[in-house]
Amino acid sequence: MGDPLQGGDPIFIGGIDFGVVALVVLKVLIGFTFVMVGVIFMIWFERKLIADMQNRIGPNRAGKWGLLQTLADGIKLIFKEDLMPNKADRLVFRLAPYLTVAPAFLTFTIVPIGGLFGTGENGTIEVFGYRTFVQVADPPIGVLFLLAMSSVAVYGVMLAGWSSGSKYPLLGSVRASAQMVSYEAALGLSVVAVVLLTGSLSTHDIVSAQSGGFADWNIWRTGVVPFLVFCIAATAELNRPPFDLVEAEQELVGGFHTEYSSMRFGMFYLAEFMNTITMSAIIVTLFLGGPDGPSLFGPDIIWPTIWFMGKLFIFLFTFVWLRATLPRFRYDQLMDLGWKRLIPLSLAWLLVIGAIRIADDEGWNVALVIGISLASCVVGALALVGASRAGRIRRRAEEALR
Amino acid sequence: MDVLSGPVAGVFRAPDVDYHAFAPELVLVAVLVAVLVVDLVLEGRGRRLVGGLAGIGLLAAMVPVLTLAVDGANRSMVGGAYVVDDFALVFKGLFLIAGYVTMLLSSDYLADDDYYEGEYYFLLLSSVLGMMVMASSRDLISIFVALELLSIPAYMLAGWRKRDLKGNEATLKYYLLGVFATGVMLYGMSLIFGITGETVLTEIGSKLQGPGASLPLVSLGIVFVIVGFAFKISAVPFHSWAPDTYEGAPTPITAFLSVASKAGGFVALMQLVFIGFLGRDDVWQPMFWVLAALTMTVGNLIALRQTNIVRMLAYSSVAQAGYMLLPFAVAGDLAKGPGAAMGPMTTYLLIYAAMNLGAFALVLAVARKTRSGEIASYGGLFEYAPGLTVLMSIFVFALAGIPPLGGWYGKLVVFKTLLDANTPWAIVLGVIAAVNSVIALYYYASVAREMWMRPVPDGDTTPVRVPAGLTAALSLCAVATVVIGVYPQVVARFGDLAVFSLLP
Amino acid sequence: MVAQNIAFGVLAAATSLAAIRVVTTRNVVHAALYLVVVLASVGALYILLTAEFVAAVQILVYVGAIVVLLLFGVMLTKATLGEDDQLDNDQRWLGAVIALFLLGTLSFVLVDAFGDDKLPSLEGVSRATLEAQRGSGAVGDAIFSTFLVPFEVVSVLLLAALVGAIVLARRD
Repeated sequence: MGDPLQGGDPIFIGGIDFGVVALVVLKVLIGFTFVMVGVIFMIWFERKLIADMQNRIGPNRAGKWGLLQTLADGIKLIFKEDLMPNKADRLVFRLAPYLTVAPAFLTFTIVPIGGLFGTGENGTIEVFGYRTFVQVADPPIGVLFLLAMSSVAVYGVMLAGWSSGSKYPLLGSVRASAQMVSYEAALGLSVVAVVLLTGSLSTHDIVSAQSGGFADWNIWRTGVVPFLVFCIAATAELNRPPFDLVEAEQELVGGFHTEYSSMRFGMFYLAEFMNTITMSAIIVTLFLGGPDGPSLFGPDIIWPTIWFMGKLFIFLFTFVWLRATLPRFRYDQLMDLGWKRLIPLSLAWLLVIGAIRIADDEGWNVALVIGISLASCVVGALALVGASRAGRIRRRAEEALR
Repeated sequence: MDVLSGPVAGVFRAPDVDYHAFAPELVLVAVLVAVLVVDLVLEGRGRRLVGGLAGIGLLAAMVPVLTLAVDGANRSMVGGAYVVDDFALVFKGLFLIAGYVTMLLSSDYLADDDYYEGEYYFLLLSSVLGMMVMASSRDLISIFVALELLSIPAYMLAGWRKRDLKGNEATLKYYLLGVFATGVMLYGMSLIFGITGETVLTEIGSKLQGPGASLPLVSLGIVFVIVGFAFKISAVPFHSWAPDTYEGAPTPITAFLSVASKAGGFVALMQLVFIGFLGRDDVWQPMFWVLAALTMTVGNLIALRQTNIVRMLAYSSVAQAGYMLLPFAVAGDLAKGPGAAMGPMTTYLLIYAAMNLGAFALVLAVARKTRSGEIASYGGLFEYAPGLTVLMSIFVFALAGIPPLGGWYGKLVVFKTLLDANTPWAIVLGVIAAVNSVIALYYYASVAREMWMRPVPDGDTTPVRVPAGLTAALSLCAVATVVIGVYPQVVARFGDLAVFSLLP
Repeated sequence: MVAQNIAFGVLAAATSLAAIRVVTTRNVVHAALYLVVVLASVGALYILLTAEFVAAVQILVYVGAIVVLLLFGVMLTKATLGEDDQLDNDQRWLGAVIALFLLGTLSFVLVDAFGDDKLPSLEGVSRATLEAQRGSGAVGDAIFSTFLVPFEVVSVLLLAALVGAIVLARRD
C-alpha cells in the first residue's frame, strides 16, 4: 500500500475488474445525485431565506413550505418553447450551457464527502468487499484540477454571451470572463498556502492532514488570511452577489443568458447553484477539514458525512446571506479589489508562510524571519500605495489635457 | 520494468548557488526592478531619473563581469547547464556595452518625441538580461528561455512608436516571424531531447557522438534548431523581417537589434553547434555553407539598390551576418579542431558591434536635423557637419573592410579561417566572400560620395546639434573602430579568450 | 494495455480531426474552440502517459488562459458571427502541400527513430512510487534545482511581457 499519504484510492490497488468499474460508476451516480438534490434544495432554500430576510413569504404553494417549488419550476422550463435567436451561432449557442454545467460537477468529484480520517481507515469505507475513498476521484493533482476546472468554466459564460448575437449578452459575458480570469489569480494564490502546508495537491491528502481535530484545520494553520481571500475570490468566481455584475439587470437586461429560454436557460440556472454548492464544498475541504469532526453517538461511519454537510450548510447560508445584504460592486471597484488588494495580499501572506516554513526546516530564528518578511511586505505595500497614488495623479493630469 | 530505476525524489536538496558567478545578472535584475518601481512611484521630474538609473545599472553590472574575468576560474553550475567562462564573460561585456550605447542613443530620442520612458528602459534592460543569460546557458531549456527573454522585449520595443504605421508593421512582422522561428527551433530541440534524453549540451554532445547519432531524426532536429536561430541572426532566407523592422523600429532599437540581438543569436549558435552538435558536422557544415553564401550575396545585392540609409544598413547587416557565418561552414575541416572557428567569429562580432552601433548613432544624429532617412538627404553633409561626415566615413569604410579601420581585421581573421580549412568548398566560399566584399564597397562608398561630393539638397546648412549622450556614443564607437583597426591585438585577445574550455 | 491503446486511438483521432478543423473552419471563434479540443486532447494524452501534472498545467494554461484570452481578443475587437471569407487564403493549397510534406518527413524520422520502442509497463508499480518519481513533487524538485536558472529567468520574462503588453495596448 505504501505511504498512507500518497497511496491513492485503495480500490485501484490489485488491478481493475468489473466490480471496480461498477463501483466507480456507482460513485459517479451517487455524486451526481447528491449535487442535483442539493441544487433543488439550494434553490428553494435561497428563495425562502431571502424571502425571510426581506419580510416576504417566498415559495409556499408547491408542497409543504413550497419545498417542491424548484421541481415545479423545472417542469415548467422543460415545457417552454426553446427559442433560438436569429443571429445566433447555433452550434456554440447549443454547446454553451453544457460547458457551464460540466465543470461545475467535475469539480465536485474531487471533494471527499465522508469517511473517517485520522484513523487506520484513513478516509476509506468498505463497499461490496472493496475499500475505497468517499469521493468520486482522487487525482494526485487535485488542487490543480480544481483550478483548471474553474478556468474552463469561463468558456460557458463567454460563449453563451458571444453566440447569442446580441449586445447585452456579449457585454455581460465580457464582464463575466474578465472577472473570472482576474479572480482566478487570487484564488490560486490562496490555495497555494494550503498546498504548501500539506505538501500534496491531492484533496484526500489535504483532508487527511487536517484530521487532527479543530486546531489542525487549515483555516488556522494558514492564518485565516488565505481562507478569507479564497472565500472572496470564490464568491467572485461564482458571479454571486456582491460580485454579480454579470447579470446586473439594470444595465444588462439579464446578463450573458438573456437570449436563452427553456431548459437551456434552466441549465445555466442549475450550473449557478451547482457551482455554489461545489465551491462551498471546496472551501470546506481545503480549510475546514472536510468531513473531519468528532463522532457523537451511533455508528461512527455516518458522522463524517454529517459534519461535512453541516459545514457545507454554513457556507450555503452565508452565500445567501451575502446576497440579501450587500449591494453590488461597481466594475472598477471589483477590479481594484481583485488586482490591487487580494492578489498582493495573498502573495505577501504566501511569502510569510513560505519564510516560516524555510526557517522551520533550516532551524533559523523564526521571530527574526517573520519580522524580516513582514518588513518586506510593508515595503511592498508602500510601493503599491505609492504607485496607485502616482497613477491617480497621472490619470488626472491626462484627463486635464483632454 | 525500468520504471523503478532513476533518481527518486526524496528530500529536496537546494542547489548550491555561486553568487559571484550570478552577480552580473543579479545586479541587472535588481536594477530593472528598481527602474520599474521608480517609474511607478515617482512623479514628474523624479521619473527622469530612470534613464540615468538604467545606465548606471548597466555599468554596475559590468563590475562583477570584470571581477569574474580577473578571477579567471571557469564556474560550472547546476550540472553544467550554466557556465561562466571567458567566452561567456567576453559576450556579457559586449552585451552590457551595446546596451549602454543603446541607452545613450535612446535618451534624447525618447525625450524628443514623448514616448514611454520607464517601460522602455525596463524592457531594454530585460532584453540585455536575456542576452547575459544566453551567454552562460549551456542547456536547451536555458537557451530557449534566454532567447525568449531577449526577443520578447525586443518585439515590443520595435513597435514603440505606436501611432506610426511603419512601426506597427515593424513589430508585427518581427513578432510573427520570430515566434514562428521559435516554434520551429523548439520542435527541433524536442526531437533532440527525445533521442538523447538530455537537455545539458555537453551530455547531448557526448550522446551525439555515440551510436544512434546518425539517425535522420537527429539531423532534422539540428536543422530545425539552426533554422530557428538563423532567423535571429537574419540569415537569408530568414531575413525578410529585417529591413522592414529596422526601418519601422525606433532607430536606437534598430541599432540594438542589429548588434546585440544578432550577437545573442550567434552566441547561442556557437554554444549549440560547438558543444551539442559537435559530432554532426556533416549536417550543419553544408547548411552553414549555403546559409553563409546566400546571406552574403543576397544581402549585398539588395543593399545596392536601397535609397534609404536605414534599409541599406539593414541589408548590410544581413550581409555582415553572412561573413560571420563563414567560420561555421568550415569549422569541421580545421586542423586545430572546430573550436578554432570560434575565435574569428567572436572577433568579427566585437568589431562589427563597434562599427555598426556607430553607423546607427550617426544616422540618428543626422536625422535630428534632416528628419529623413533617405541617402540623398546626406548630400553635402560635409559642408555643415564636417565632424559627423568624418565619423560616418570611418564607420562605412570600416564596415566595408578598408584598413586601417576596424573592419579589415575581422575580415582578415575570417578569411584566414577559410584558408586554414583548405578544402575546395572553403576556397569557393572564400571567393564568394571576396566578390561580395567588393560589391559591398560600392554601396558603402556611395554614402561617402553623397556626403563629400554632392550639394546640400535643400540648401539648409545650419549645423546639426548633437546632444551629449549621442556624442558620447559616437566617440565611443569611433575610438573603438579606429583603435581596433590600428591595434587589432586588443580584440584578437578577446577572440582567443572566447573559446570554450571543454572542447575536445 | 488494451484500454490505453483504445484511449490513445480515440484521443489521437480527436486531436488530428480538430487540428484540421482549426485551419479549415471559416469562423475565428470556431477555430479557437477546435483549438481547445486539440489542446485538451493533448492534455488527455499526457494523462495516459501518467504525467498528470503536465496535463493539469496544459488545461490550466492553454485551455484556461491562452485560448480564453484569444477569444477575449476576438470578441473585443471583431466578433463576427458566422463565416468570414477573409479567413480563407489563396495560398491554401501551397500550404497544404507543405504541411503534408512536413507530416511525411516527421512521420518518417519519428518512426525511424522510435518505431520499435515500447513504453515501460506500469503494472504493479504503486502510486506512491510513481508520485515520487514523476509526480508534481518531482517536477517541483527539478524546477528548483536543475532548472533553477531558467525558472527565475522566466519570472523576469513574464514581467517584461506584462509591462510591454500594457504599454502597447494602452490607449493614450
